[in-house]
Amino acid sequence: MMKKNRFFDKFIVALVELIVYFYIMIFFRVESVWILIITVILLGVIFYLSKKFKKTFELINDSFTKNSKFATFLIVILMIAFPFVSKLIVPLYIYWLLITIQTFIFAIVALGLNFQAGTTGVMNLSSAAFYGVGAYTAGYLALHYKLPAILTIPLGGIAASIFGLLLFIPIFRARGQYFALITLAFGYMFVLSLNNLNFVGGPQGLKNIPPINLFGYNFQKAPFGTHFYVNYYYLVLIILLIALLIFQRLYNSWIGLTLNYIRDDEPAAKGCGVSTNKWKLMTLLIGNFFMGIGGAIYAHMIGFISPPNFTLTISLLIISIVLLGGSDNIIGVLVGAFILVLIPEKLRVITEYRVMLYGLLIVLILIFRPKGLIPFKERIYDKVIAKEN
Amino acid sequence: MEKKTILYTEDIEMRFGGLYALKNVNIKIYENEILGMIGPNGSGKTTFFNVITGFYKPTGGNFYFLGERLTGKEPYDIMIRGLSRTYQTSRVCFDLTVLDNILIGTHFVQKSRYFDALFNRKKLYKEIEYYKEKAVHLLKIFNPDLVNKLFVRVGSLPFIDRRRVEISRAMISEPKLILLDEPSAGMNADETKELMDDIGKVRSEMKNATIFIIEHDMKVIGTVTERVYALNFGQVIAEGTYKEVSNNIDVKEAYFGKELDNENRFAA
Repeated sequence: MMKKNRFFDKFIVALVELIVYFYIMIFFRVESVWILIITVILLGVIFYLSKKFKKTFELINDSFTKNSKFATFLIVILMIAFPFVSKLIVPLYIYWLLITIQTFIFAIVALGLNFQAGTTGVMNLSSAAFYGVGAYTAGYLALHYKLPAILTIPLGGIAASIFGLLLFIPIFRARGQYFALITLAFGYMFVLSLNNLNFVGGPQGLKNIPPINLFGYNFQKAPFGTHFYVNYYYLVLIILLIALLIFQRLYNSWIGLTLNYIRDDEPAAKGCGVSTNKWKLMTLLIGNFFMGIGGAIYAHMIGFISPPNFTLTISLLIISIVLLGGSDNIIGVLVGAFILVLIPEKLRVITEYRVMLYGLLIVLILIFRPKGLIPFKERIYDKVIAKEN
Repeated sequence: MEKKTILYTEDIEMRFGGLYALKNVNIKIYENEILGMIGPNGSGKTTFFNVITGFYKPTGGNFYFLGERLTGKEPYDIMIRGLSRTYQTSRVCFDLTVLDNILIGTHFVQKSRYFDALFNRKKLYKEIEYYKEKAVHLLKIFNPDLVNKLFVRVGSLPFIDRRRVEISRAMISEPKLILLDEPSAGMNADETKELMDDIGKVRSEMKNATIFIIEHDMKVIGTVTERVYALNFGQVIAEGTYKEVSNNIDVKEAYFGKELDNENRFAA
């Protein structure tokens, strides 16, 4: 009886994941805007059903929790197979592959911002600026100093961290909303500076940034007769998975606990001996590092970056991914990235209403799930510790 | 027997502009005692707590803990030397679990940081397990029910249980001095009685600790404390056992006003 249950659980998990996976493919494939309308209706129906048939949904949720290792393993396999499966199902798979890579890059940046804003409560509204620092650093070093990607990408991350220190050390004493406003101003300053600095190309930016060449393997080469984007896909996938692992481990530890305490009640944290300024600085360094990495990969992949790539709009997109997807929840951030990057792409079909519908989507999420689509979950350090209870 | 002083203050002054929240405050706390502090609203009791825990930097005077001058230091610098406190409004994080809220109290005694969180999970879990056992032990003293609620959000617990979580948080690091700021605030008579029992349990659990309580509820002070300071308008007006202090005329005046004698009652 026990064995049958475990197989059944895994079956449910696999079924749900496969349904979502292939639905996303269909979403890519269908050109007309009807797929979007159908998707929204379907989501509404699912939401309604989840309230009506609470028990069934809880059962599904439990299957995922009990078999989280298997669920993760399956998702990773599906993601690895994605380029080849999509080639079979979606005629425009190259375009959607690029969009997916962009989604992953934004997810990496959003994970960095989530560590700052979601976990620690440091509201950084200039994430695009640090994304830009990473992109420009990598682009400039590759273009003018011929540094290989294996150096430029980490250096992009480090540069973003250093810039973060330069910005935040002077303004640490500022309270909540003023801090956020100052970071907003920094975002503007960054774009203005880029437009006026000639050594980074001014308004024309950097072009002809060399593609990635990792240990002799040129990323411009298309593997297995697909397209050279596939190389970037796997690179970004690996970095995304590493980022997810890192943030998951940090969350499930003293680090996550201390940062949450700083977010929710800073004086109480101080009263427990936490030197809050030092901890906030660490989240800045770490979060910014990932923002910079995202930018660096983007620079190499697209080969051309310019100031309009790093404006406030992008910063708002990243913070929306964090807040709407679910702050302090890495799965929420991932889901948020998918929704907020993919849906506008589909909305290109009806360009006039695009921004309006995008706004409508955000309002709907704020009404029905104000804490984000997948909100903060209680910290359970290890299933063993919880079980022993 | 020679009583050891673990904390003493020298002419503490706390000015906010022209207002003296504390003036010429000289207080001694002896090792192992249960000390109380009373005074009407606004007399400076919580301000005093804030000064000796570093949340306010005094504008004058000094204070010494275990012989070391701690004036002007930040809270985290002071607390790691063996103090812990609770707050009048019971500051716990509602969104975090009971266990989380207690574990944060071990912040400056636990060892693992970023490296262990990322690369040495075994060591991390061992440490968490160790402190979890401590937390369970503390919770059992106050309310065995809470042991089953380790992973429940603190916000869903009743007020008195949240207080208990807060007290456990203050105790888990085995501090030398525990400061309780109006622990009975917001409680009814039954809950206050439970609280007095709780303080007794704290005392028997931590035999080497010193407890310093601010209270408005005179019953608590009378039952629990061994010695009391009375504050009014930021100055110490009396010191002694509760019986002595409550009979002190300055203290009575502070709470009830000056007594009119018959001649002046019908002053023209």
